[in-house]
Amino acid sequence: MFWSQLDRVMGYYPVLLKGITTTVSLSLIALLIGVAVGFAFGIMRAGRNRPLSYLVGLYIDFFRGTPFLVQLFIIFFILPAIGIELNAFTAGVVALSNMAACFIGEIVAAGIAAVPTGQTEAAAASGLTKAQQLRHVVLPQAVRIVTPSLVGQFVLLIKDSSVVSAIGLLDLTRSGWVIVQSVPNGLLVFAIIALGYFVICYPLIWLSRRMEDRGQAAIL
Amino acid sequence: MHKLNPFVLTALLAVMTQAGGATPVAAGTLDDILARGELRVAVQTQGPPFSFMDKNGTRTGSAIDLTTLMAAEMGVKIVYLDFDWDGLLPALMSGKADILAADMTPTLARATKVAFTKPFIYVGAVAFAKAGTGFDSIAACKAPGTKIAVLFGSTGEKIAAAVFPEAEIKSYKGGGTLLLDAVNTGQTNCGVNDSSAVAAQSAAYDADTFTVMPEMLSKEPLAYAVRYDSMDLLSWANLFIDTTALDGRLQANLDYWVNSDAWQAAH
Amino acid sequence: MLLNLNTRVMLEFLPEIWQGFLATLMLSAAGFAGAMVLGVIACGLSIQPARLLRAPAVVYIDAVRATPLLAQLYFLYFGLPRLGILLPEMLIGVIALSLNSGAYIAEIIRSGILSIQRGQVEASISSGMTYLQRMRLIILPQALRPTISPLIGQAIVLVKDSSLLSLISVVELTRAGQRIAVERFMPVEGLVATALAYLVLYYLLKLLAGLWSRQNRLPGRA
Repeated sequence: MFWSQLDRVMGYYPVLLKGITTTVSLSLIALLIGVAVGFAFGIMRAGRNRPLSYLVGLYIDFFRGTPFLVQLFIIFFILPAIGIELNAFTAGVVALSNMAACFIGEIVAAGIAAVPTGQTEAAAASGLTKAQQLRHVVLPQAVRIVTPSLVGQFVLLIKDSSVVSAIGLLDLTRSGWVIVQSVPNGLLVFAIIALGYFVICYPLIWLSRRMEDRGQAAIL
Repeated sequence: MHKLNPFVLTALLAVMTQAGGATPVAAGTLDDILARGELRVAVQTQGPPFSFMDKNGTRTGSAIDLTTLMAAEMGVKIVYLDFDWDGLLPALMSGKADILAADMTPTLARATKVAFTKPFIYVGAVAFAKAGTGFDSIAACKAPGTKIAVLFGSTGEKIAAAVFPEAEIKSYKGGGTLLLDAVNTGQTNCGVNDSSAVAAQSAAYDADTFTVMPEMLSKEPLAYAVRYDSMDLLSWANLFIDTTALDGRLQANLDYWVNSDAWQAAH
Repeated sequence: MLLNLNTRVMLEFLPEIWQGFLATLMLSAAGFAGAMVLGVIACGLSIQPARLLRAPAVVYIDAVRATPLLAQLYFLYFGLPRLGILLPEMLIGVIALSLNSGAYIAEIIRSGILSIQRGQVEASISSGMTYLQRMRLIILPQALRPTISPLIGQAIVLVKDSSLLSLISVVELTRAGQRIAVERFMPVEGLVATALAYLVLYYLLKLLAGLWSRQNRLPGRA
């Protein structure tokens, strides 16, 4: 019984493949854009320019505080009213990268704030400009502090990508729902879906553990 | 050969120029569709037997076949836009789709926002329970405290509340298979959903897993929907339904997809 | 669609939105509390040198982080009955949220601890502090500062994740907004109502976190 069901699930292999491809490509692109923009946001948030920090903060607050589905719908269905028509995949990428950038922005800002002031003072005293301080002293340390959080964020991104099924993209979670229509063993189907996500996410998690171990031995 | 009476000729010319100078007909959605050469249809990814994905990830179902026919009759290509149930309506209202083809019931509340075609089929809600648990009739399900599974936002939700007033209604947000799973694992005692959905989805389980109570708890139409600015498309769609009803193609479609499980084999 | 927002209907649904708001608040609070407990325990175990203690914690953390909450929720709700355990859906929802966020919180705390400069630890060891004293007086207070922001982030994620509980028939905030969309066919009004309500929760959370960190006057850069 179990094996025949497993067999039937595997018969849906094209659907599963499409789901994995969509999830991975969507998340990867959103990740890259999100990190780039997120770092920019983080630096702006932690910077001296108060009005800028505040404005960026409001923007970040909106996108962190509202459900992703709402953001996605705004980008896909409401933007056309002001002339911006996107196809489903592009809208998904835009929405996902934007949300990622907002979360990453806050994480990076916190990381920068966690670098001891002594470091920036010493850097300034050594004659480095603000930009040089940021690049050579503050950011590297901030990055090391926040790396585990960042990886957690990447992984969350991959999971959040499942919301895009609402605008018609066949991602991994949606392919699970499609399969469960005709293979009524929900536990089996979603176990396979979970496995799919695991295969995508675990390498990232493993990578971040490796990065830490090289940077910091057990210190306690 | 007689010469046209000059008076008649002038009158004729006058009439013709009047007609030419009359208010131009506003371009309707149907005109847009014809100009574009494609009909854009919003369908669900997951709503058998009306619209769902088969093994190969191709879209199929009753609504797919009917709308393909529509496009063929109109002489245009067809473009499908898949959505979850939640995304269907925004797709139509934002103009991304011309018509919404799903198993949607035209309620009066909904009709204040979109225009529904005539019904292409009537279905009813049925109750079902797990075989052998003692819930084998409507009366049994009426017992106070019975847990009844329904789909969030569906007409089944309202019907269950009306028919089983003393029951505990649990409404699930997701597909109909959630209801079957809930009943099957014992999280709820009974479930209420469209007869077509129950039939299509319970077919995947072993033959006697569920007891489906034969009584129809309601009679509901299902229809397609268009925006209120597409009255021309609406008239055309209604004519389509009338025409295919008369020549039997509609019935053939429904007989294949809804009234039997012949489609199970191929999909 | 956005220009003629029907606020009358939105207000009409206010009671339902309020119910959903309260439900989400309670579910998230309970879930977060559970997650903190699980997170601290799992984190504590994951930094132990002893393999036997560390391994189960790491397996839990990695397995939960690498799989979607939806699948975890599905397993708990539809799987537990197969083992004979029938629990009310709200409880299952809270358990799922706790288990899920617990793994992330464990990692957040761990990164906070690891960010402490070596010098601090060495100094405290050479000052003759015991492990517990070290933890309590030097390490944990310093570890907390960089973890506040990610913890709030996780709390926010948890609040939004709680909307998944609609899958197992739990009444919560997102569903209230969807009612407006599904019954009156006003998706925009539903979206706006949902967004506003979640934003309120978000700012409440930020307020709480701000109050807490000011109360505790944590060391580090202001």
